[in-house]
Amino acid sequence: MSAFEPRIIAMVCNWCTYTAADLAGTSRLMYPHNVRIIRLMCTGMLDAKYVLKAFLDGADGVFIGGCHPGDCHYINGNLKVVRRISGVARILEQFGFAHERLELKWIGASEGPEFQEHITRFVETIRLLGPSQAANVMIL
Amino acid sequence: MTFFHLKTNGNPASAVNEFLGRMLSESLVDAVLVAARTPHSSLPMPALFTDPAKIDAADPLAPAAPFNTARQAASILRHESGRKIALVLRPCEIRALIELVKLKQCVLSDTVIIGMECPGRLENRLFLDRIGEDPDFTNKFYRDPDLRDLACSSCRICTRFMPEGADIVLCTIGQPMNDHIDIASQTPTGADLLGKLNLPEGADFPEREEVIRKMFEIREHARERVFMETAEKTDTIEKFQKYVADCLNCYNCRVACPVCYCRECVFLTDVFSHDPQVLMRRASKKGMIKLPTDTTMFHLTRMAHMAHACVACGHCSSVCPSHIPVAEIFIKVGAEVQKIYDYEPGRDLSEPMPLMVYDKAVIA
Repeated sequence: MSAFEPRIIAMVCNWCTYTAADLAGTSRLMYPHNVRIIRLMCTGMLDAKYVLKAFLDGADGVFIGGCHPGDCHYINGNLKVVRRISGVARILEQFGFAHERLELKWIGASEGPEFQEHITRFVETIRLLGPSQAANVMIL
Repeated sequence: MTFFHLKTNGNPASAVNEFLGRMLSESLVDAVLVAARTPHSSLPMPALFTDPAKIDAADPLAPAAPFNTARQAASILRHESGRKIALVLRPCEIRALIELVKLKQCVLSDTVIIGMECPGRLENRLFLDRIGEDPDFTNKFYRDPDLRDLACSSCRICTRFMPEGADIVLCTIGQPMNDHIDIASQTPTGADLLGKLNLPEGADFPEREEVIRKMFEIREHARERVFMETAEKTDTIEKFQKYVADCLNCYNCRVACPVCYCRECVFLTDVFSHDPQVLMRRASKKGMIKLPTDTTMFHLTRMAHMAHACVACGHCSSVCPSHIPVAEIFIKVGAEVQKIYDYEPGRDLSEPMPLMVYDKAVIA
């Protein structure tokens, strides 16, 4: 059996974390290839159902990356997502998804190394947690 | 709190009706929204009365509620009408109405909320059977605490059976209802109104507090037990899928939910109306898919959208054609989510909804 490779969905803001990912790439910073990045225009547009869908479709972890408080391109979108995420995390926990599988981090556009660091650490966290229960369950 | 007596002479419902009728005939309010029998059924439907002569049909105490009336209340309170309207509501209905105001679905400008202390409601069918066998069932329900076990599952675990937020309270718990019902005001609006009616003043019934405390303890105990059992049945996604296995995707629970206020639910939009290609792809990925799809997704998404505002009325369970205990899981998850935001739906109109404010830790 091959070793467990986590499948991570990263939903990141166009104006900061996505740019940071771009910077990490152009700077030749290596980070684990387990991450599939989805670009959002703002974390404020992140609906709970995107996170739920990712987990139900077998994601082992979901990483949300937004602008630092005060830096939002749309003034306060990043502040809006905070409580949404804590609520979803609590709901997922009730059904056996460890809350560590869902993470929200602020990563500015110039923070390529931080992006590398957060993603590397998150992938390791998920690797230790093991595969998500939904990966082998038929979701009805 | 000043208590006033309504003499019942063995018929509490008509005593309450007389009180509502006086509010109309003495022009203290322009209309009363209260549950009432309809010509062909004893099931009490929300009805808007303007004529005191018609108020006899009202059945405010019947232990049944086919809807969470907050929805109907919101429909007449959608904007300021310049009319003074009295609303006779159960505690869960008041909570839902307060949530709907916060969600900007209606306004409470010139309203008088008359809240009843609520021992619970029966499922529609059971209520109709009981009242069919015994026309005096409603009165017996208040006299005999054992009959409260007939109440639906969500009512048996409800600890918020006192009408917080009401202007006027119909005291039904621990009352000698055969002789009189006490009625009290909780706000200046209520006090002003009751003052104008010149009702005989009554003393607080000495055992009342004790009866209320006992009822609360029984409910709280039942609630903890149900939460534990539900957690056991749903603590993995596979177990949760077993829990909702008979779901037909009819979305009745969402229609009945008083705080699911979206005019167009996302589950009715193209987002979840998949292209045949998508269905084929999903089928071939696992060899089969169940249709309709997205059953688990529906329940989890609905939870994520409204759990913080769940008022625990239990109407989602009552309308489920597959008899899934929807309310138990939604009330339990709702309680968990409300805990992290330190929020109780319907507790206070001035308290903002948890998703409308920012975490202090973040903006600091």
